[in-house]
Amino acid sequence: MRYPPRLADLIETLRRLPGVGPRSAQRMAFHLLEKDRAGATALAGALTAAVEHIGRCRRCRMFTETELCETCRSPSRDGALLCVVETPADVVAVETGSGFGGRYFVLMGHLSPLDGIGPAELGLDALAAILDEGGVQEVILATNPTVEGEATAHYIAELCARRGIGASRIAHGVPMGGELEYVDSGTLAHAFAGRQKL
Amino acid sequence: MLRVELEPGFILHHRPFRDTSLLLEVLSQAHGRVGLVARGARGSRSRLRPLLQPFRPLLLSWQLRGELGTLTAAEPDGAARPLPAGEALLALYYVNELLLRLTARLDPHAGLFPGYAATLEALRAPGSPAPALRRFEKLLLDVLGYGPDLGFDQAGQPVTGAQCYRYHPAGGLTPCAADAEGALLGTSLHALATGELADARALADARRLLRAALDVHLDGRPLKTRELLRQFRG
Repeated sequence: MRYPPRLADLIETLRRLPGVGPRSAQRMAFHLLEKDRAGATALAGALTAAVEHIGRCRRCRMFTETELCETCRSPSRDGALLCVVETPADVVAVETGSGFGGRYFVLMGHLSPLDGIGPAELGLDALAAILDEGGVQEVILATNPTVEGEATAHYIAELCARRGIGASRIAHGVPMGGELEYVDSGTLAHAFAGRQKL
Repeated sequence: MLRVELEPGFILHHRPFRDTSLLLEVLSQAHGRVGLVARGARGSRSRLRPLLQPFRPLLLSWQLRGELGTLTAAEPDGAARPLPAGEALLALYYVNELLLRLTARLDPHAGLFPGYAATLEALRAPGSPAPALRRFEKLLLDVLGYGPDLGFDQAGQPVTGAQCYRYHPAGGLTPCAADAEGALLGTSLHALATGELADARALADARRLLRAALDVHLDGRPLKTRELLRQFRG
């Protein structure tokens, strides 16, 4: 059957969301129109406001409504520690899960040389400028444990080494509560290479 | 439909495909380069996800209908090896980019797969990645049939160690004066032919010759990893 043009357009637009196929998009559209028109208006307003007002922090590139984000402005944050992550979602993960008290730098991706994503696309010149200011004593490289994440970490570690700033890589190994039997061999190899004295 | 079971292979490149899948470019032992879709491999619970990383020896199974295949299984082929640090890690990407740019899909080139595996191994060793890269570049040109003739000059005379030569991708080697621009020493050419690139002059000469030979086949589009390596060296 053919949808009215505006409905078809709504369904097509909802499909932009990750994980939303034609069927879920149709369910969402019908739900909003059938049962929650007020919610639909609120959603539209929230989306418009978010797109209009949320930008990136001048310093760490995290989402913010102000020029500098809250973490970068806060005097209680330890300016000597800088944690480099790939995405804004990683900032949230580190923030909720690690008790890290320093500041962040968000790359918005990782080095992907074959796709043309190089140092410029990751804002590494901005990162270098932060390092040049002095103040940062340790850079914690919390990029993903993939080959690309590893390459990105090595590249940034080199930027730090040239400035005499310490760089460390987050450990990777067996997950808490995991069983060795089910851990993949790559993770296990890393866990053994990075073993610690007791 | 072609079914391949547990074929040794390496992932050269992967990119996101649809919502949860990956599009892989694989270098396989018997079938050359293949493009494979790994369904669901980007999902957070995917068992394949930690395995489908570049530079790792794998055993891959797939079905092929048309040009793009579907990955049906993947297993590790031997233990995972640590990645090299710094420049050597970026050099690994350079090797992959050369393969992606210069080889065609489903064209099995004899000797390329073991040569690639040996190059990965050599780049894991400490020290400069340059000799391993030059050997790989020469191997790649040789298996593609573009390899320069290092034994004889354009006139058919054997290359001698003390003589200097100039290289043209179209014409080959011509003798020249030692102080001429782009002069390559005969001993450097011998060194490249045998793969024993020991001294700095031989490495520099080999680099210039191979670069000229490769550039002809890159159609004027620069290699992205070459630029990245240049930036890395600062």
